[in-house]
Amino acid sequence: MTTSERPMIELVELTKTFPGQRKPAVDKLSMSIERGEIVVFVGPSGCGKTTSMELINRLIEPSSGHIIIDGEDVTNGDPDELRRRIGYVIQETGLLPHRTIAQNIGTVPKLLGWDKARISARVDELLGMVGMDPQVYRDRYPKELSGGQRQRVGVARAMAADPPVMLMDEPFGAIDPITRDRLQNEFLRLQAEIQKTIIFVTHDIDEAIKMGDRIAVLREQSHIAQFDTPEKILSEPADDYVADFIGAGASLKRLNLSRIRDVEMTTDTPTGLLSEETAALRQRLLESDWTAMLLLDEQRRPRRWVTIGDLRREGRSLDTVGLPAHAVVEGHSTLADALNELIESNGGVAVVVDAKGAYQGIVDLETIMVAVRAMREEHSAFYLAQKQQPEDAAR
Amino acid sequence: MTDAPVVASGTGPLKVERASDRGSVLSWVGMPIFLAVVFTGTYLWVQSQELGGVEQRVLTRAQLTSRTIQHLELTAVSTLIVILIAIPLGVLLTRPFARSLVPVVLAVANIGQGIPSLGLLAIIFVAFGQLGFTPVVLGLVAYSTLPILRNTMVGLQQVDPSLIKASRGMGMSSLAILLRVELPLAVPVMIAGIRTALIINVGTATLATFFGAGGLGYIVYNGITLNRTTVLITGVVLVSGLALVVDYLAGVVGRLLAPRGL
Repeated sequence: MTTSERPMIELVELTKTFPGQRKPAVDKLSMSIERGEIVVFVGPSGCGKTTSMELINRLIEPSSGHIIIDGEDVTNGDPDELRRRIGYVIQETGLLPHRTIAQNIGTVPKLLGWDKARISARVDELLGMVGMDPQVYRDRYPKELSGGQRQRVGVARAMAADPPVMLMDEPFGAIDPITRDRLQNEFLRLQAEIQKTIIFVTHDIDEAIKMGDRIAVLREQSHIAQFDTPEKILSEPADDYVADFIGAGASLKRLNLSRIRDVEMTTDTPTGLLSEETAALRQRLLESDWTAMLLLDEQRRPRRWVTIGDLRREGRSLDTVGLPAHAVVEGHSTLADALNELIESNGGVAVVVDAKGAYQGIVDLETIMVAVRAMREEHSAFYLAQKQQPEDAAR
Repeated sequence: MTDAPVVASGTGPLKVERASDRGSVLSWVGMPIFLAVVFTGTYLWVQSQELGGVEQRVLTRAQLTSRTIQHLELTAVSTLIVILIAIPLGVLLTRPFARSLVPVVLAVANIGQGIPSLGLLAIIFVAFGQLGFTPVVLGLVAYSTLPILRNTMVGLQQVDPSLIKASRGMGMSSLAILLRVELPLAVPVMIAGIRTALIINVGTATLATFFGAGGLGYIVYNGITLNRTTVLITGVVLVSGLALVVDYLAGVVGRLLAPRGL
């Protein structure tokens, strides 16, 4: 077996029974985690997800079972040494308040005996990676930073000695929603570069769906209810427990996973240019089976939705008739974005444009429903065949 | 760190010095100026009095100097011994394996603090069977152990558990966590305890004169028994002034030792 095929983390019947308790807190947890993937442990409070994570770096010593990291059994041996090889991020950040940002980030390299120059260079590199200017921040103290900045430093500190494995315990849990969203996006972008093997604990299914390459939904005693990709978990929950945990909004959540470029846009909408003759436009609209057409400007950017009635009114600039074409989305937007736009739009459709703003096609409710059904793998072909022209697109 | 005052049992609230107080000029120079005024005023007042035989015998430079030095020796030696006993004990009692000993040790320390100081010194004198420096120091140690012990424990216990968890998670050994995380973060509270112990010892050492160990209590006692107001006031000013000087110096040291960034 080559190194690239070998799983990065293997848990073999990992069990923890706390003294004085009859039932184990973690009961025979076995799983195999591939190199470079983010696996999210998600479950309600008390299901043992944090305990399971802390068994991996042996903050809690397992009662039985094995932890194998990169082919090496690390269940016994020096736990301090093990932990220096595993990045660790916690919700409270755990930055030492009496040490500067640079000293905090340099903690593990210093434990590993790196020389000062190397630590200093690494600190600057890491601060840059998490989007903080080393000149400004390296000599500050944690209390001089905002919550979001502290959590960035927490992530930088965990990556300091370039560990192949990182454990993250609700790292963005204590941060306001807007900053959390930004940190999640930044972290996903960073992960695309650094390709760490990450175990990420959260109780928030939406965060799990966003961050996870695979999600382990846990029930009491860390029993795995389902361990699969976010798409599979949303479309094929293994049982009622998983379905309940996903909650009522499973279909809506699924919309966050697909992008417009992945679905079939409607492209046969009649279009015209603002500069064209009204008569020619009218002719084109009548020949289509649509009740409205989309007018574009010279750069093919959507401007107005017009009906046949609008086009009959002679003597008015085309720029003022009909309804403005709001609700514009791009190919990389999610279906959730598109749904949001089309709900807010005048005509019940979201116009898709490219990066320059030029018209590509439209997405309507039908498109989205078809995509959702396709994800559920419920005879997607049937629904595509049934799809009807949105005759009331411009109403 | 919270801003809440840390209370050591039986000693009232203690103000924990914060690093951010460093800048305040008034807090640095206010006390020295006050003390200089009081000492100078007392000196000039004593100079202006007609001194009788008793005053001339008691209020000599040699007498005052040696009594002050005796007093400082009692305070310094007893506080040093308390620090050497109470801080390691406090560290020990906050380790998980020693948790069951905590109530026992605190009960003993509370007894020391609970008995009136004169009574405690008398008991030790009876038990020791002799007068002098050593039994008085023992009494002072017993009397002032609690604030340092208590504050060491409180200081260590109030360290945010998530810091210790994160430090363990990064692979720091227990000893490294104690030395580089827990103790530095407990320093402000521990210093507050040491400061309290110093004040207690300066004050209680006044009683040393009854047990043959001298100190500034000798002057106060002479002033009272011989009914010499000048002597009494000089003694009182010296004892109180000394307490304030010691407290001030402890405060300065505390500020210098407090970790930055809190």
